[in-house]
Amino acid sequence: MAVSNTQVIFDNLYGIFTYLAIIVGVIVFTLMAYLIIKYRERKSSSDPEDTPRLGRIPTSRGHGRNVLITVTLSTFLLAVLIITSFAAVDTLFPGSPPNSTWCYGIASYNQTQVAGQSCPRLDVTGHQFYWVFRYPNNHTYTNFFRVPANTTVVLDVTSADVFHDFGIIQFKIKTDAIHGRTNTIWFIPYKTGNYTIQCFELCGTGHVGMIATLDVMPVADFQLWYDSAK
Amino acid sequence: MTVQSDHMSQDIFPPRVRRWLFTTNHKEVGILYLVTSLFFFVAAGLLALSMRTQLSVPDNHVLTETLYNQFVTVHGLLMIFWVLSPFAFGFANYVIPLQIGARDLAFPRLNAMSYWFYLFSGVAIIMSFMFGAPDLGWTLYSPQTAFQFAPAIGLNVGAAALILITVSITMSSVNFLVTMFKMRAPGMKLRNMPVFPWAILVTIFMMLYAFPSFLAAVLLLYVDRAFGTFYFSSIQGGALLWDNVFWFFGHPEVYIVLFPAIGVIADVIPTFTRRPLYGSKYVIGSMIAAAVISFIVWGHHMFVTGIGLTSTKLYTVTTIAVSLPFDVMVIAMIETLIKARIKLKAAALFALGAIALFVIGGITGVYLASVALDHALRGTYFVVAHFHYIMVGASIMGLIAGLYYWFPKLTGRMYNETVAKIHFVVSFIGFNILYFPMFLLLDMPRRIQTYAPDTGWGPLNSLATLGGFIFGGAQVLLFLNLLLSQRRGPASGPNPWDGWTLEWSLPSPVPAHDFDTIPTIAEDGTYRFGNGSSYPNGSAHIDGSKIGNGLAYSHLEGMSPWPLVMAFAAFLFFLGLSIGQPTSPNPVSFKPFWPLIADGAILGVISLYGYSRERFSVHEENHVESWPFREVPNVKLGIWTFLGAEVIFFGVLIGAYFFVRTNSATWPAVGELFSIRNGFAMTLVLLTSSLTAIMALASAKIGSRNGLIAGLLATLGLGAGFLYIKATEWIELGTHGVFSVASGLPATSYFITTGTHGVHVVAGMCMTVYLLANTVRGRYIKGDYHAIEHFGLYWHFVDIVWVFLFPLFYLI
Repeated sequence: MAVSNTQVIFDNLYGIFTYLAIIVGVIVFTLMAYLIIKYRERKSSSDPEDTPRLGRIPTSRGHGRNVLITVTLSTFLLAVLIITSFAAVDTLFPGSPPNSTWCYGIASYNQTQVAGQSCPRLDVTGHQFYWVFRYPNNHTYTNFFRVPANTTVVLDVTSADVFHDFGIIQFKIKTDAIHGRTNTIWFIPYKTGNYTIQCFELCGTGHVGMIATLDVMPVADFQLWYDSAK
Repeated sequence: MTVQSDHMSQDIFPPRVRRWLFTTNHKEVGILYLVTSLFFFVAAGLLALSMRTQLSVPDNHVLTETLYNQFVTVHGLLMIFWVLSPFAFGFANYVIPLQIGARDLAFPRLNAMSYWFYLFSGVAIIMSFMFGAPDLGWTLYSPQTAFQFAPAIGLNVGAAALILITVSITMSSVNFLVTMFKMRAPGMKLRNMPVFPWAILVTIFMMLYAFPSFLAAVLLLYVDRAFGTFYFSSIQGGALLWDNVFWFFGHPEVYIVLFPAIGVIADVIPTFTRRPLYGSKYVIGSMIAAAVISFIVWGHHMFVTGIGLTSTKLYTVTTIAVSLPFDVMVIAMIETLIKARIKLKAAALFALGAIALFVIGGITGVYLASVALDHALRGTYFVVAHFHYIMVGASIMGLIAGLYYWFPKLTGRMYNETVAKIHFVVSFIGFNILYFPMFLLLDMPRRIQTYAPDTGWGPLNSLATLGGFIFGGAQVLLFLNLLLSQRRGPASGPNPWDGWTLEWSLPSPVPAHDFDTIPTIAEDGTYRFGNGSSYPNGSAHIDGSKIGNGLAYSHLEGMSPWPLVMAFAAFLFFLGLSIGQPTSPNPVSFKPFWPLIADGAILGVISLYGYSRERFSVHEENHVESWPFREVPNVKLGIWTFLGAEVIFFGVLIGAYFFVRTNSATWPAVGELFSIRNGFAMTLVLLTSSLTAIMALASAKIGSRNGLIAGLLATLGLGAGFLYIKATEWIELGTHGVFSVASGLPATSYFITTGTHGVHVVAGMCMTVYLLANTVRGRYIKGDYHAIEHFGLYWHFVDIVWVFLFPLFYLI
């Protein structure tokens, strides 16, 4: 079962790429193997007529037509990949992220689902070598944060020092954490449970331990936790 | 025919040693490149095996994290800069002059110097371990390179090594470019060149326009670290400035290390399939197309830095489009096999294997070109797998094909074919066991020293490590085979593979002077040799020791100690700049190691003098060179290409200035910090000096010695005047305290950009002094005015740069 909308998007796109890659790969490798076996040197075989020989520049051969066919076919394939990629990235990274809904139902926020208002974003800051998560109520957590399942969560990611990269492994999503810049990502977690966040850019001795946990909770549990947190 | 300088050093070393230390012969230099690059290949390979051992099981601690990070970094740097390109340029050195029918490269001493710069830069990068090697990945992302995050001076030493190798690469690209444009045998049209020289030609064009960007980046990094400037440690410049400048270089660099191997494969396949390369002109056209596109795809390395949806889409399209020319190359190679007679010798196996691995690397590259997939795959082992399929699978395998292919030409002996075939089979299988599992590790971050057992990454990592040892172990077969065969292998004869390119017409190994008679290529594509034989060296072609017509010279001629000495001087100089003591971290101040700098500078001046005074000429009928400018068309082309590289260099400096300025909330108003009057005066002075340089040339052309002296003196004086105004401005800004290097980006960008320009003015003035000295001795006025012309080109360029700097810094 899918763990987040971003994972679904990735899996679908990765699937399309991989199907096409396998088809192309099989054709190319079969062709190569067939030609090598068929035209390998045998005792009976002799050099072709146009064999390049020392003493003269070999005659040029090859049809522009074949090149054109190859390029046209490839262009079609690549166009499919570009179009599907664009569709995916338009969902993943629209000009502005969709309404954040993780806070619906929490007493301290007056946003409502009916009005379609957006919740505040969560702030994520990378440090050498830990992650700090800050909620709108100014509670901060180190290497650990919680969100309610099946709601839209929007994160603003930055860094307090060097170049980090914030990746939620199972959600197949990441963004660079850069000092002085804020990068926004969003996702809808589908399934409750713990997920691994890791730094994906070598950031010094300690990088290997720059791991955090995302706890996706049932909505009611989350609201209880959030309102009771001190 | 050969004039020799009386080297003081000739008696110090025995001939066998001298041959390798002082040679300027393209074949010796080529072999030096090959042997050195293979040495670094083994060194970097051992680092890789250590890392694979560390990763073989979860929670492993054979290597500490710091050591692991250092290994990651130095492995990457070594393989990219000190293995892949030099390996290819070893072949290029040896083979290209032969393939195009040239006598040596255009500037043999410059070629030797490129090699020594390469060697010493490699020594420097290995020495960096003594000072805390760089440990932040070969991409050297900022701001982690800032002094506060990376206090170890090993990074300075690494930066010095990178500067030295960039100098080496720039020298050799200019050299090869001039050679290929100016020194081809009569009738050898560009389109008649085999694919290998073409691949190198396209490669050096990329080098010429990519490496200046890198040089500027490393230079800025270096001043950040040594003088406390803020290009990469500030928010205004920082991570994205480095990313842009670095990857503008970085993506072309990928093709720089790939194309020579494609060139080798495209030469090997026709020889062993006995058919001409299918659509060779399309292959060459595709290379050119890919090279051009490679300069507009760098954004795909920055998909998740937040550069915006539109940019990422644009880069997705350009990056996916760059796969089309590679399609054409691969299809052409495969179509060559049709109706062929494929001899599956080791070279052919490696070439075909390289194509197969390249297909996998290429297809997975398309995944990474997609911005949507990159959000998952960025920084994972999928990336590692992809680029190793390209860089090891295509590049290294392709170059090993070249090693087997040209080994008989280089040594005159055959290697053991059976062992070579086993080497291929084991390498190919080991390679795939090593790298294919990494595609499946698409969740695992790259560059981590260890991982937890519950990640489930253990088994695939164990498999990869197993493959690593198989692949690494297989290379022992290669080295043993070649080492033993080089001594004991059966004689190969001149053309063991029945190849068609010109190098196979020469004895193996090729005699020191190459061709007895330079070939001519007739209209119908046949080679003609002056001696009427089908071999340039006549009946002596079987045995290199007997040369027919007295043109031969020994390997001990045409030698010069100065390339080695000069490279060593540069090494000392940069080492001294790097290994000083940091005296204060904030603001950064750094005390360089002056004794080494002084030694390097003194030795540099001595070697420059020795180099320019040396009467160096190797091939009388071809060219005579004496630094700086005597041999006419070669030098002029060399200067134009060098200036092309300079344009990129200054372009990056100016681009960096724009970048930090547009990202700064506040910037001093016009006229607040700089006096426009000063800037205007400097502009006027410098433009006038261009005029006097033109007058000097005009005087030289009409043979007026006094006019020439007056013109040069005026140019020199105006240059000095420019520097005087500049110096007063610098001092004034400094003493008022408004403006010191450490006081912020307006200062930083101003001092660095105009400082670099000032260094160029000083260099131009040194040339003027040299020209003046020669003019007094009566040169340049008897039609030999070209040196004045070349100087003029450089001087005008320096002036034009100022014409850009003046409005950028003073008027806006």
